Amino acid sequence: MPTPLRRSSALAALSVLAVAALAGCGSSEDKGDDTSATSKGSGASQVNVTLASGGGGDECQVDTKELAAGPVTFTVKNESATGITEVELLSGQRILGEKENLAPGLPEVHFTVTLGGGDYEIYCPNAATEKTPIKVTGEASASPTGSAAQQLAQGVTEYTQYVNLQVDNMVTAVRNLQKAVDAGDLAKAQQAYGEARPFYEKIESDVEGFVLPGFDATDNHGNLDYLIDMRASNLDPAVGWHGFHAVERDLFGRKQITASTKRLAAELTTNVTKLAKVAKTLKLKPEDLANGAAGLLEEVQANKISGEEEAFSHIDLVDFANNVEGAQQAFEALRAGLTEIDPTLTETISKRFQAVTSMLEDYKDPNAIGGYKTYTPQLKKTDANKLSQTVQALQDPLSRLAEKVATA
Amino acid sequence: MTSEPHRAQDRTPDAPATRGGLSRRRLFAGAGAGVAVGAVAGFAGGRGTANAQPATDAGDSVDLSRSHTFYTGSHQAGIETLPQRHCVYMTFDLTTTSVTDLQVLLARWSAGIAQMMAGRPIGTVAPDRAGAVAQDTGEAYELGPSSLTVTLGLGPGVFDGRFGLAGKRPRLLADLPSLPSDSLQPALTGGDLSLQACADDPQVAYHAIRDLARMGRGTVNTRWTVMGFGRASAGKGQMTPRNLMGFKDGTRNIKEPAEFDEFVWVGDDEPAWMRGGTYQVARKIRMDIEIWDSDDVTDQQRVIGRTKEVGAPLSGKKEFDTPDFHKTVSGKAAIDPTSHIALAAHENNGGIKILRRSYNFTDGINDLGQLDAGLLFISYQNDPGHFVTLQRRLGSSDLLNEYIAHIGSGIFAVPPAPREGHYLAEGLFS
Repeated sequence: MPTPLRRSSALAALSVLAVAALAGCGSSEDKGDDTSATSKGSGASQVNVTLASGGGGDECQVDTKELAAGPVTFTVKNESATGITEVELLSGQRILGEKENLAPGLPEVHFTVTLGGGDYEIYCPNAATEKTPIKVTGEASASPTGSAAQQLAQGVTEYTQYVNLQVDNMVTAVRNLQKAVDAGDLAKAQQAYGEARPFYEKIESDVEGFVLPGFDATDNHGNLDYLIDMRASNLDPAVGWHGFHAVERDLFGRKQITASTKRLAAELTTNVTKLAKVAKTLKLKPEDLANGAAGLLEEVQANKISGEEEAFSHIDLVDFANNVEGAQQAFEALRAGLTEIDPTLTETISKRFQAVTSMLEDYKDPNAIGGYKTYTPQLKKTDANKLSQTVQALQDPLSRLAEKVATA
Repeated sequence: MTSEPHRAQDRTPDAPATRGGLSRRRLFAGAGAGVAVGAVAGFAGGRGTANAQPATDAGDSVDLSRSHTFYTGSHQAGIETLPQRHCVYMTFDLTTTSVTDLQVLLARWSAGIAQMMAGRPIGTVAPDRAGAVAQDTGEAYELGPSSLTVTLGLGPGVFDGRFGLAGKRPRLLADLPSLPSDSLQPALTGGDLSLQACADDPQVAYHAIRDLARMGRGTVNTRWTVMGFGRASAGKGQMTPRNLMGFKDGTRNIKEPAEFDEFVWVGDDEPAWMRGGTYQVARKIRMDIEIWDSDDVTDQQRVIGRTKEVGAPLSGKKEFDTPDFHKTVSGKAAIDPTSHIALAAHENNGGIKILRRSYNFTDGINDLGQLDAGLLFISYQNDPGHFVTLQRRLGSSDLLNEYIAHIGSGIFAVPPAPREGHYLAEGLFS
């Protein structure tokens, strides 16, 4: 499965050129003890990494520990080490190349990087000796620090703009909701509710946990997420019910707009305006985007597929789709940098996002509030399993993003 | 992570099971525990040891430091292996259409199974790196191998058009036909892959299924599962256990190697990659426990064909007396011809035998407030037609049908175990 690589940086000091010789190939021949490190036809130096079980546990054997600067092809073969599933090439904490999904019996796999002079390590998690130093002699190329880290930083900037845009749109949409409520127009208010929810759902993992100045962290009177998004099932009796879902109960449960509904809607406008102000001071790091994306999918699993989030309006699939969109935006922002670090994982996550979004296509309904089918108990019964397992297949690789970008 | 504490406990599966650190979790069941200790100390791994138990209650001991070998190069563990105390069974649907994904999954499952059967985690439990998720979920950490076996099966779906493997379909692998008295629920039926994880510690068995399911996400979806407790089939030398009907189950089970060769392991008429394998049939059988419990024991004995306490056939006195299906008492058959044992007996089925490796299960309480429980029936045979023959007869006439219902079903081809350096069903991909 060759993984296409997006190259955008001319100064990149290393390049991952070739990946995987796995597809369709089922050779189970032992390679023997070929420890030759001489250059093959490609002109790249060769380093063989062999994983094998030995007396002291699983061993990670590296046949060449000193080589000259330039392109280097690493060939990884798991002969018999059942406890090792991945191998990484590290420069300090940074991952320059890696192979995952290793297991005894699978064909050998390769990756090629261009290395400048310096010290590197082969990292085999779970091996008896996990790290093997490699010394590359020759000119130290322009510090490779640029590539992935710069691209990640660029992604964070773009994503921060995305968050700001959603926050502004959320304030506008909540004002529209308040207007419809004030006008006593139930149908219009229901529509406006469905239009306001997406903005919060796209970014909620970035903005939860904000506490208003002067409040203790344990006091929900000052917890903006509580005041904006709390559901009936988790109410703090000392604070009472506020926010979107209290409005939802009136509009969709009681189906009437009262003076209390108007107070709740006005208060919601005030609180999202406060939230917008705080959100714009956010200083995000790449791992925040990664954790935020994973957090949004946790939201999907925990509250949307269960139908607990929108207990009265049943627009859970609207929230679902917007949680996914928010997560995808965060991932796309990291993608260029992440591709440098781990093209295989990047590709996996990308494919799984496609699987989720194409699944969601089937649930679109332009006539429904929020644009997605109403998540009735019947629909939940028939479809929740599929929805959940498809999201879980994305959530697992996505949960591994943070450690990749944190070390870049 | 060079100081991973688990490494201090690493040992090859064949090493003597004398790990001191496990003694606090070591326990022995049965009155003759003292005898069992001596008997078990000579344990040396693999198939040979599985048969090294004395044929008394004392043999029914649990030693949580005991381990079985994954890379036997012949039969998968978990079939001839003496039945462990607990078993989690799960089937999966392949969601990928990539044959490479299937190949990688089988290779990674094989490596993971080998690790866990040896009592090792499948990877880091607490990774060094900031922000990293663990490779192993950790709940079996330091629990010991607990005789874990994980047995993989390949369902008919593996050989449909999706993966280009139609030409490699095992000769006798096909969906089971509809059988008399079937009450199958679609949500408890089928699957492209099956995993049977049995261990003497239920947490070790569950951990295996959990981590293998996790490893498979994106390639497989979970389909149905049964958590079995209390083995309901005897292996060689084991005291015959009882199923939830309170009767001994498995008195006449396949126990001798020659019987395994004749009835369980497939031979040269199968593709090379299947030789040494077998076919697995799994049935989730609900028992109407309340109704059964209100039946008088004389009638229960007539339904089963054996006495309740001793387990003797109604034609005899002792458990292992050979049933005499022709014997009459006062002009009536001693063993009712529609009793369970009469219909299932090889004497009455052209000599057919199947290996049963069943477990009891409970799913709590049903909608009606009744205890929801039954038997996770798992059989191994070299021809699924043998199961079909037996179940046709049982499903048509068995007196027991008044008290049970087959609600779940699956059939799988079970490939042989790989040699070290290889993986399960590797021959499919060459």
